[in-house]
Amino acid sequence: MENVIELQHIHKSFKGFEIKDFSINVKKGFVTGFIGGNGAGKSTTIKLIMNLLKQDSGTVSVFGMDYKKHEKDIKERIGFVYDENIFYENLTLKDMKRIIKPAYKNWDDTAFQRYVNEFELPLNKSMKTFSKGMKMKASLAIALAHHAELIIMDEPTAGLDPIFRRELLNILHELMQNEDRTIFFSTHITTDLDRIADYITFVHNGEHIFTKEFYKIEEEYAIVKGTLDLLDRETEQEFISIRKTNTGFEALTADKNRVINIFGDTVIVEKPTLEDIMYYTKKGR
Amino acid sequence: MVNLILKDIIIQKNTIIFYIATIILYLLVDVSPIFLGVLYSVVFIMTAFSTDEKGNANILLNSLPYTRKEVVSSKYMGALLFTSVIIFIIYLGDFFLNGMGEVFLWREILLIMGLVMVTISFILPISYKFKSKHLLMILVALVGLYLVTITILIPNLHDILREFVQNFLALQETQMYFVAILTTVILYIGSWLLSIRIYERKAF
Repeated sequence: MENVIELQHIHKSFKGFEIKDFSINVKKGFVTGFIGGNGAGKSTTIKLIMNLLKQDSGTVSVFGMDYKKHEKDIKERIGFVYDENIFYENLTLKDMKRIIKPAYKNWDDTAFQRYVNEFELPLNKSMKTFSKGMKMKASLAIALAHHAELIIMDEPTAGLDPIFRRELLNILHELMQNEDRTIFFSTHITTDLDRIADYITFVHNGEHIFTKEFYKIEEEYAIVKGTLDLLDRETEQEFISIRKTNTGFEALTADKNRVINIFGDTVIVEKPTLEDIMYYTKKGR
Repeated sequence: MVNLILKDIIIQKNTIIFYIATIILYLLVDVSPIFLGVLYSVVFIMTAFSTDEKGNANILLNSLPYTRKEVVSSKYMGALLFTSVIIFIIYLGDFFLNGMGEVFLWREILLIMGLVMVTISFILPISYKFKSKHLLMILVALVGLYLVTITILIPNLHDILREFVQNFLALQETQMYFVAILTTVILYIGSWLLSIRIYERKAF
């Protein structure tokens, strides 16, 4: 399967934060949810992919090309939605279009107009009157007006109300009917991903923990609940981390079948949520 | 790249009327066209710069299919273009308001262009490196330095400057002009390359 984005052996250090030997791939034609806690390195990764930040070493390739030689070809095919406002506050959406449109070779005015209508965006009001959700939709309309093959979103649902969030997810769902399109989006609202993501990429502390197909996560990982007497030095090794209470323990395993073999009926095995996985992974490190 | 220059005009379109109105006002009270030309050009160029900086426009511009080289180059090319337009507006205004009386017109134009280029050559790389709000501090420091200079060190600084401008305008030797132009152009290109270097290493 083809990769749209490949990050290989990236090193990047900041004051107080470091990414070491970081590699991820994003598959073409799928929605990849990019999860991790605050400060895990999600935004940094997205900035590396967008070439807003340069790695100290390692390679970033998008559509099989590198930024040194093909910066414009790459960006021509990327649509972006950022967490922060990137519009000129005093300009209207119409003005923003006038600025952005000539940057793209394959800008499609009718498509832009169609999405502006669909998203109910005002063309003649200044961007500072736009709510966060409207700005997100405006970014998306721009991304779709130049027929972006890869849409990269940094926390598009953060700070949106549930209605906006659901609308966004519906839009994305619709977009994925086009099979060549790839969506990569970071979020820490993991329930957003239940409805849409094909793959999950999980980072923690500047480290890539896994990239897996969503359904496989449910097959492999499990939350295990049991009484404290089941735990000893040996059995504790089976878990990523364990939370103990007076009444018993709850733990996360990355190998569900093995745990079932070891403990049999003495424990309760449940499906983990992504939040469970994030929580226990963080605890275990 | 033309698009990026146009962008600098679009983001200031609401203030352009204000610029023109005040230029006319100043011309009416006989403010020197040289002073006006330099002031308005630098203000126009730097307002565009700080507008980009204030929002996250740099994130936007660098996510669009532009290279960083183009983003910086558009500022340097735009600066020349905007200065030319402002010079045109000022002298057009001057012609209508005060009539034709300038013999040294092309020398004045050259002087405005040169002064703007020298100023921009210093301001832009500093702004790319440190953010233009620090420029304000530097400016305050410079004003302080200037005040100290005229009150304590060189009380007749203004006379010297006026004399310099007069001398420049009265210069007959083409060789001198040539040297001045060449120096300015080299400084400008050097600053251009330096800004590209700074900007390419920046993280957004």
